[in-house]
Amino acid sequence: MTPAKRIGEVLLHADDISLSFGGVRALTDISLEIREHEILAIIGPNGAGKTSMLNVINGFYHPQEGTITYKGATRRRMRPHQAAEQGIARTFQNVALFRGMTTLDNIMTGRLLRMRSNFLWQAVYYGTALKEELEHREHAERIIDFLEIEAIRKTPVGQLPYGLQKRVELGRALAMEPELLLLDEPMAGMNVEEKEDMCRFILDVNDEFGTTIALIEHDMGVVMDISDRVAVLDYGRKIADGPPDAVRANQDVIDAYLGVAHGA
Amino acid sequence: MNTLHAIFIGPFAQMWDNPEFLLEVTIGGLLSGVLYSLVALGYVLIYKASGVFNYAQGTMVLFAALTFAGCLDLHAPIWLALVVTLIVMVGLAFGVERVVLRPLVNQEQIILFMATIGITYFLRGAGQIVWGADVRTLDIGLPKAPMIIGGVLINKFDLVSAVVAGSLVAVLAVFFQRTAVGRALRAVADDHQAALAVGIPLKTIWVIVWTTAGIVALVAGILWGTNLGVQFSIELVALKALPVLILGGFTSVPGAIVGGLIIGAGEKIAEVFWGPALGGAIEDWFAYMLALAFLLIRPQGLFGERIIERV
Repeated sequence: MTPAKRIGEVLLHADDISLSFGGVRALTDISLEIREHEILAIIGPNGAGKTSMLNVINGFYHPQEGTITYKGATRRRMRPHQAAEQGIARTFQNVALFRGMTTLDNIMTGRLLRMRSNFLWQAVYYGTALKEELEHREHAERIIDFLEIEAIRKTPVGQLPYGLQKRVELGRALAMEPELLLLDEPMAGMNVEEKEDMCRFILDVNDEFGTTIALIEHDMGVVMDISDRVAVLDYGRKIADGPPDAVRANQDVIDAYLGVAHGA
Repeated sequence: MNTLHAIFIGPFAQMWDNPEFLLEVTIGGLLSGVLYSLVALGYVLIYKASGVFNYAQGTMVLFAALTFAGCLDLHAPIWLALVVTLIVMVGLAFGVERVVLRPLVNQEQIILFMATIGITYFLRGAGQIVWGADVRTLDIGLPKAPMIIGGVLINKFDLVSAVVAGSLVAVLAVFFQRTAVGRALRAVADDHQAALAVGIPLKTIWVIVWTTAGIVALVAGILWGTNLGVQFSIELVALKALPVLILGGFTSVPGAIVGGLIIGAGEKIAEVFWGPALGGAIEDWFAYMLALAFLLIRPQGLFGERIIERV
């Protein structure tokens, strides 16, 4: 694989982001670039601020300092549904699916923003809505095929095993046809086989749709295999950023993971 | 001995001797139960979509009925009164979202519940200021005469209101299960954060839910108002929806319907057959006793989501 070829312009850059909760600093002066079509892995020990960083990017958290520039527009505050409208989709560390709804319905919620007729109109004029519903249903079915989850189409997701739930959550994010896909530990709690499947899906999404992906992952084997670039956070600061091999050799990163006594 | 006989044997003997009468009482009860279902449905809608128990639902029924009856008393035609009341209820939904829900987003449920108590007092006061505290009669030409079908006496008004309530429930069920908006509503109810992440605007959803609850309140208000007159005690009748919810489960639309029917039929049967033995007025407390029993045996209700704790 020669990833360097297809990587494009900077899609999103975060500048000097600082975020704190009360007296606790979660992020300190973090600057980060995400380029078009790349797979960026954000790694770091527990509590390093990885999830906080994703939350800042899609507007769940509003940083006290710093700005986010996405597709040329700079802003400090972005609301989650605005982020969604502009093509940022995400999955969550602890699977945030609509548990009472079926796989298909969950994926269809990802299509809501793509529906042309507005909300109230859909409620009143059933005809147009129905036609549109069918078009979107087709799209949802393609995603279901792509992720190989045909068999659980009608199963309420609350009943599915964890690995499949993660896959459905990816499906819901893909249904939004995102430009930027944020994955928070897409492989946590999976066995080797499930991890391999998930890796394949992530690479395929990146390859076929050109979707830019930023993911958080703890499995170093996976990270080194699939990512074009790796950013390392530790105690809310960025300590390294570069190609996987360079990051692996970086002394700061090794110290952060192996735990060097501070001040020693 | 006589008392025991009157409680444990007499009523059943009576039912056995006169099955048509039992049928008549049961049907009457079921039909009036539909009205309980309708009020309960208003609670379920809001609870499902926002996890808030809307204490003000009963007062919304009263407020809608007052506005409707008030417009009629000003000699407005029925369609105009209906349109005006609908506009008022939609305005109320927008107001509630803007003034109450938006500033309280992400707060504890109990705080939102307290806020709905506030809405209750506001609506009660507003209703009195605008329309006064007099009892109003409401007559929109619904038939009231009893009729006899297959040897069973049925109140025509009960039948009409059951049909109206039944169709409203059917429409709502389709709306919730089959449309994209319905899917968005269920999504918001399941997980706020995930709903935001797929781009569902919470504000719009809240307005839609409160509007729907307002429409349900209007229909319930017109039917109750025709039956009992529009007066402030309608609120108390609305409280009967609470045992209905405990029976049916707070999150279930079918539960609200079945719960209403059970309570409607149950309290009529209890009143007619056990009333003499227990000194009457059973109708007033039967629903609450049944709810209490349910809380002990099956706290999630007949159709509520089973409470599963992962440990």
